[in-house]
Amino acid sequence: MTTVELVKIASAGKTFPLSGGKEYIALRGIDLDIRRGEFIALIGHSGCGKSTLLNMIAGLDLATEGTVELEGLTITKPGPDRIVVFQNYSLLPWLTVRENVALAVDEVLTEKTPKERREIVEHYIGVVGLTKEIEKYPNDMSGGMRQRVAIARALAVQPKLLLLDEPFGVLDALTRGNLQEQLVKICEDNQISALMVTHEVDEAVLMSDRIVMLTNGPESKVGRILDVDLPRPRKRLEAVKHPSYYQLRSEIIYFLNQQKQVKKMRSRKVQVVKGHGLEKINLELGFVPLTACAPMIVAKEKGFFSKHGLDEVSLVRESSWRGVVDGLTGGYIDAAAMPSGMPMWITLGGAGNQSVPIVTSLTLSRNGNAITLDKRFQQQGVKTLADFRDMIRSSPEKPHRMGVVHPCSMHNLLLRYWLASGGIDPDRELNLKQIPPAQMVVDLKGGTIDGFCVGDPWNLRAEMEGIGFTIARDIDIWDGHPGKVLGCRSDWAAAYPNSYIALTKAMLEACQYCADPNNAQEIRSILARKEYLGTSLEFIHLGGPKDIVPGAESVAHHVFAGPGVNRPSRTEHLWHMVEMARWGDVPFPRNWVEILEYVCSIGVFSTASRELGQTEVSYSRSEIKLVDGTVFNAEDPIQYLNNLEIKRDITMAEIPLPR
Amino acid sequence: MTAKLNSPASFRIGNFSFSWKKFGRAVIPPLGAILIFLGLWEALSASGITLLPGPSSLFTDARTFELIRYPFYDRGGIDKGMFWQTWASLQRVGISYTLAAIVGISLGIAIGTTPFLFRALDPLFLFLRTVPPLAWVPISLAALNKNEPAALFVIFITAVWPILINTAVGVKQIPQDYINVAKVIQVSRQKYFFKILLPSALPYIFTGLRVAISLAWLAIIAAEIVMSGIVGIGFFIWEAYQNNYISEVILALVWIGAVGLLLDSMMGWLQNKITKG
Repeated sequence: MTTVELVKIASAGKTFPLSGGKEYIALRGIDLDIRRGEFIALIGHSGCGKSTLLNMIAGLDLATEGTVELEGLTITKPGPDRIVVFQNYSLLPWLTVRENVALAVDEVLTEKTPKERREIVEHYIGVVGLTKEIEKYPNDMSGGMRQRVAIARALAVQPKLLLLDEPFGVLDALTRGNLQEQLVKICEDNQISALMVTHEVDEAVLMSDRIVMLTNGPESKVGRILDVDLPRPRKRLEAVKHPSYYQLRSEIIYFLNQQKQVKKMRSRKVQVVKGHGLEKINLELGFVPLTACAPMIVAKEKGFFSKHGLDEVSLVRESSWRGVVDGLTGGYIDAAAMPSGMPMWITLGGAGNQSVPIVTSLTLSRNGNAITLDKRFQQQGVKTLADFRDMIRSSPEKPHRMGVVHPCSMHNLLLRYWLASGGIDPDRELNLKQIPPAQMVVDLKGGTIDGFCVGDPWNLRAEMEGIGFTIARDIDIWDGHPGKVLGCRSDWAAAYPNSYIALTKAMLEACQYCADPNNAQEIRSILARKEYLGTSLEFIHLGGPKDIVPGAESVAHHVFAGPGVNRPSRTEHLWHMVEMARWGDVPFPRNWVEILEYVCSIGVFSTASRELGQTEVSYSRSEIKLVDGTVFNAEDPIQYLNNLEIKRDITMAEIPLPR
Repeated sequence: MTAKLNSPASFRIGNFSFSWKKFGRAVIPPLGAILIFLGLWEALSASGITLLPGPSSLFTDARTFELIRYPFYDRGGIDKGMFWQTWASLQRVGISYTLAAIVGISLGIAIGTTPFLFRALDPLFLFLRTVPPLAWVPISLAALNKNEPAALFVIFITAVWPILINTAVGVKQIPQDYINVAKVIQVSRQKYFFKILLPSALPYIFTGLRVAISLAWLAIIAAEIVMSGIVGIGFFIWEAYQNNYISEVILALVWIGAVGLLLDSMMGWLQNKITKG
């Protein structure tokens, strides 16, 4: 019995019979292993079957399908090797603290002498710090003290697994915090494994080694499992400063929000509304609150959608790109403004190892990003990339972290390219972390990251607040790089071809509206509104020659329209493909020519611009010139990859496309 | 300080504290109500509207006054003082009530823990418990033939239902938490019974016991009234009525009421004592 797994749950499920012969499937297909000495948090919305799963392990409520095993033996009934700590303490009010604990100890540890049992009882009451209260009755004690008695009772019988059902749910914040730390310490000291049901995100991150998230019922299953890599022992105040803390926290919150949204989407029957000769005029479009998403917001506010027959467009604000990815692949949104690398990334299977072909007919914006470093590097004399490299190499013992938004975003690709051009390996010499844009400045201020590459307004803001300085602008690395594009699923585009063209027309006109400096003030005030960016006007800048912030290096320099700006470029998408393959995010497709043709809906763009009477929209795009003087060669990408010095292991694969 | 010493508004002796203000609030209203009630009664009987003698007859009637003065006399047979009459009734209540408690609690636990028994017996119990005490008298006389056991049976059958039903409910309503705790640490049956089930049902059992003691005391009067030739406060009333000693009936009522009140407060005190501790 020296297996690593203490508990093995394999495709377990639970079905409750309902009146009238129906049944409710609470859980289905649960696979989970609990390792020895591990602390697992089980989190999910109420009614998702968290407690049912806990009861299945406890043996209070048995699985109706699959297996639940403890050390290789199927669990058929409750036993003292798996003690449950209930939310409402479940102490017997007519027994004193000592008697409550002794009741369990006398019953379970029968092989010990009465004297030994007495010592065990007193020891564990001491462990939870209640020696003085040993002769008190539970009703004369506070909630926190009662829960400590319950924990002492559970620990005293020396179980293999501690099952905690929202143990701190009814306690006040201060008591909860103290008890959380105590419990973790006790579990560590005594090598006890634990499974804790909770709905508190911070509690889960602070206490556990792994966080298991359940999807909403009915038929709940394990949605995601997060490994918590915070060092132990964890002190609340230190842990919250760790860069992983907020990432984990936002992962969980994102998951929970997503579950809520899926529930809402499920309950809403979306019907396709036809009209004006279009197959679908009710569209749900996703965006993330960023200045670069302005064309989509403007198209809605200035009526470009309605002008082209799309009468019922609603914008769905997502807090991160993950939401856009899940919304598109799940079919909850029709199209979205997305990072320019995203259509290729999803098509190549970047989102969950499953290829979902995405097409793009329009580039919405170019430029608007910068690389910001902590102010203290400037004081240390770091002015160029070479200085930064020397600084990193002079202190190899110190981990250096930088923040990026998403693996497929231009920020990540530009930052990596820039670092590699200076000889810095972005994975081996640095640690790149995915952090939501709005979190960057806070993390830089807290010193958990050394710098970041992100879109405005965040670079400008770090500078204006005196926290960071701009070491490189995107126009220095690749002037005119694509920023955001319009993307939708290829099957959506095939099903609603005329709606796709109408959408492209509306967005193209909106881009041109954004590019006119005379509209800048109006657009800024629209963007600042609560339902869009919800930020102060001074941080929103669209760019253009007159838009200058005194004293700031990084001025917004978005380009929304102009010669060759909006037409999707195969060369650029090839660059994304190559760079993402370079860093091992996606395989490089053998059928890359075919994929480029497929992803770039150039025909749709041409039709849209022709129907708008804009034959003057230039078709040519100048070659891609990069910071290190290279001109990107679109003829032989494999040769290009082979010639790179700094890269990861590159895999090749055939990506099948729908016919 | 000096002024207060002369006319103390309150004082303390050990744990006992006394305050005129509190005493006044607690005692004066009921005392007033009783005095008004007695006064009305006296006035009604003096005016001749009713033939019932007034409360003063307790003292003016020589026979009755004799009974008040000598509650402990014993001239043999059924000619005994008020105390002995009451005591005889109390003894019957004591025997039957104890029996009812034993049967009620054990049967209640059995029913409460076994769903099959509950389903089988619940309708029967619901039916039987609605039968009033007096209706049991002829049946028990017919079945047992003798006055004494018949009286005991009537008290028993009246008192057993509230105990039984409350116990069953108390056992059935033991919180799931306690059951879960017992399951998880796998408590033995015996320990489960004495450490978890019984303490948890105790408040319910005591509610049943308290209701039952009042009912038992009600039933004894009903039972004794119809059973001639036995010592007991019930039969005493009946005989006094037959002889038209109405003031003696009134005196017996006072005794009955006082004893009933005493029994109820005793049980109340016990209930508090046990369920709190």
